[in-house]
Amino acid sequence: MKMVASAALAAAILVGGSISAYATDRGGVMTYGRYADSLFLDPVLNDANVDIWILSNLYDTLLLPTDDGQGVQAGLATEWKVSDDGMTVTLKLRDGIKFSDGSPIEASDVIWSLKRAAKPDNGIWGFLVSAIKDVTSGADGSIVISLSRPDPSIIPALTVFNTAIMPEKLFEAMPGKDDAEKAKAFAEHPVGSGPFMFQSWERGSTMKLVKNPYYWAMGDDGKPLPYLDGVTFEVIPDDATRILRLQSGELDGAEFIPYARVAELKADPKLDMNLYPSTKIEYVTLNVRPQVDGKDNPLSNVKVRQALNYATNKDAIIQIVTQGVGSPMKSFMSSATPLNSGTGPLFPYDLDKAKSLLAEAGYKDGFSIDLLVLAGNQDETGIATALQQMWAAAGVKLNLKQVDNATRTDLYRSGKFSMRLGAWTDDIADPSEITSYFAYSPTIESQHSGWKSEEVDKLFEQSQSERDPAKRTAQYARIQEIANAEGPMVYLYESPYPVALSKKVKGFIQIPLGNNIFRAASLTK
Amino acid sequence: MSLFFLRRLIQLIPTLAFILVVVFVLVRLLPGDPTSAILGDRALDADVARINHDLGLDRSIPVQFVLFLKAVATGNLGNSITLKLPVTTLIAQRLPVTVMLTVMAALMSLVMAVPLAFVAALRRDELADSAIRGTFQVGLSMPVFYLGLILLTVFGARLGWFPVGGYGDSFGEHIYHLFLPAFTLALSLAAILMRNLRAAIIGVVGAEYVVFARSKGIMPGVILMRHVLRSALISTVSLFGLSVGTLLGGAVITETVFAIPGAGRLMIDSIYGRDYPVVQGMTMALAVVVSLTFFLTDVVEAWLDPRVAR
Repeated sequence: MKMVASAALAAAILVGGSISAYATDRGGVMTYGRYADSLFLDPVLNDANVDIWILSNLYDTLLLPTDDGQGVQAGLATEWKVSDDGMTVTLKLRDGIKFSDGSPIEASDVIWSLKRAAKPDNGIWGFLVSAIKDVTSGADGSIVISLSRPDPSIIPALTVFNTAIMPEKLFEAMPGKDDAEKAKAFAEHPVGSGPFMFQSWERGSTMKLVKNPYYWAMGDDGKPLPYLDGVTFEVIPDDATRILRLQSGELDGAEFIPYARVAELKADPKLDMNLYPSTKIEYVTLNVRPQVDGKDNPLSNVKVRQALNYATNKDAIIQIVTQGVGSPMKSFMSSATPLNSGTGPLFPYDLDKAKSLLAEAGYKDGFSIDLLVLAGNQDETGIATALQQMWAAAGVKLNLKQVDNATRTDLYRSGKFSMRLGAWTDDIADPSEITSYFAYSPTIESQHSGWKSEEVDKLFEQSQSERDPAKRTAQYARIQEIANAEGPMVYLYESPYPVALSKKVKGFIQIPLGNNIFRAASLTK
Repeated sequence: MSLFFLRRLIQLIPTLAFILVVVFVLVRLLPGDPTSAILGDRALDADVARINHDLGLDRSIPVQFVLFLKAVATGNLGNSITLKLPVTTLIAQRLPVTVMLTVMAALMSLVMAVPLAFVAALRRDELADSAIRGTFQVGLSMPVFYLGLILLTVFGARLGWFPVGGYGDSFGEHIYHLFLPAFTLALSLAAILMRNLRAAIIGVVGAEYVVFARSKGIMPGVILMRHVLRSALISTVSLFGLSVGTLLGGAVITETVFAIPGAGRLMIDSIYGRDYPVVQGMTMALAVVVSLTFFLTDVVEAWLDPRVAR
């Protein structure tokens, strides 16, 4: 495996992202409107996007994801190498790196942080680094990660939030009898080595981050990043209010702009309406068990599942729900996920084919079935009512069951559902995460659908320790071929992250994995 | 008299205990559990089981209740499952915000309702009366979230007189930030109070003792303040007290529209997140607030009409 990168290359990538004709303005505090507040700022023990998507501003990782979310670049480590047998990763730490309190980042902090992330039963993200057996430091101060098996996703895993480097001594000095209690205390005023450091947090309202004076990366003026003096997050759950505050100039940016308002904000001369490429997909999960709630389940027949896919006019749904900003899915994983093998939209709309497939499956007169919809969610309601009409044309009567999220999760996890709407984003620049949840049955029975393909399961297990990239690509191509054709899904669309920024803001990005990256953001004076 | 108040206070205890039991059980009977709600669709069974065990949620409801009561006895309402903070801390942070919003809204509605009710009653069926009633009717029938957005758009974004949501950092800023949301809430309550008070004044103005007072040559202003207002207010005060619960309910929506970090929003998030300890603690705190309001209403009513306390 050729996963070696020199510091020069990494630096070239970094600078390349921020080259501009004139120097970037420094200073100022960027105020960013979020739809919901963070919950728990611990890299390992958190469990929600509201944390994950901002953590990288506070905590640095050994490696960083590239802006397209598909590759890796240098972070706290400047060089990395996977041994020929695939069992060891050796990394060289950057010189002179410090935490935001000024204390040096030692190899012991790295070892402790990675071991904490890989410890079984510590949080829910351990599976991303489950191959880590031990972490030690070499004689030259390098970091040596020993693996229990070759793991092709170990390099991208070192860019993921849960492998962030934390100050061991500070953490261990927190009050509390165990890791969980110490984490609670630590996360109230976290210290990391990201471009920003924590200043204050009023729950449900405001979180203030200020510039970390010890951050290692350089801006295009040759001085350390970040350009901003700080970032302030304001929690504004109501979409209309969030947009109003942006328009009135009280915010410099606002996330999750409803699609219905994208065109309007694009026309606003004071704003930049961005649609950042994402790994977000929307789909229907189909329960494929022979029986659901003691009744025969038509969805257990693969022809019925294919018929529903053909009966779904994706382009129409994309127009109705995303106002045209979405695109049809080419595979069960997003186009931004590495090793996506899709070539064209899956199951192009074909009502006649849908009808004949239903007839072949013995449902010439159709059937009636329930769909779980998140109550009060505009997108889901839009999708569900569109599906109801489209499928009625093929004779399938869709009953919409509105439930809240906890109820739906409960029904989903216990397999007591026929169909549900769902959305997903990747956390790692690798196809293994989504595949383990969507197609590999041992994890959660392929989205709790009961779908199982012996071949997919075997291929996935092989791919998890496959060292030859070409072979791994072929394994994933076959997995997608099977799962896309027979799997437990109706494919709806991929959609970008809609973020509106003031024209003053430059250099901000939300990468396909969802991370909001403020390190090269600046405010034009 | 003081015996009456003592009795009223003691009556609060079984009410609150009843609310506690009902909330404790109901929230656990909702489908789903906090662990699944937090971990979401990706949760593995092993993770859910482990965390449920750590939280003690794998025990029976009666056992959980006994443990909860023991903790409550020591002043510990537990920790929020999603926010990992003590519930008492959350109450201390969030409840004052909502109480302040509600108090401001209540005062504003009184300031609007009382004078206008007099005008409307004394100019009965004239243009002023119709105009006042008509305006309030619009305020009453407009949904809170819609009215809030209109006010935000006009007075916040367009005119820039008020901030577009948020809560501010100092007491002065709090008042400034809460002005629009409190006004939004106040309008519908003011409409109800105004109509009620107007009808009461019309009734009292025609009463024999007022006619008598007038015939004695007492100044009209004195008659209005001393005789009319006092007895007309009695039913309005009890209506006002009862409306506080509604006001708190309205605060939930107002807090979302205006991005105010109050108890209402926390409550909604906690119910969706099945954050049992927060739902329990917040319900109790809100129940105490409402109960105290009822108590105060009783006190005021007894002052206006001493027969109430007998």
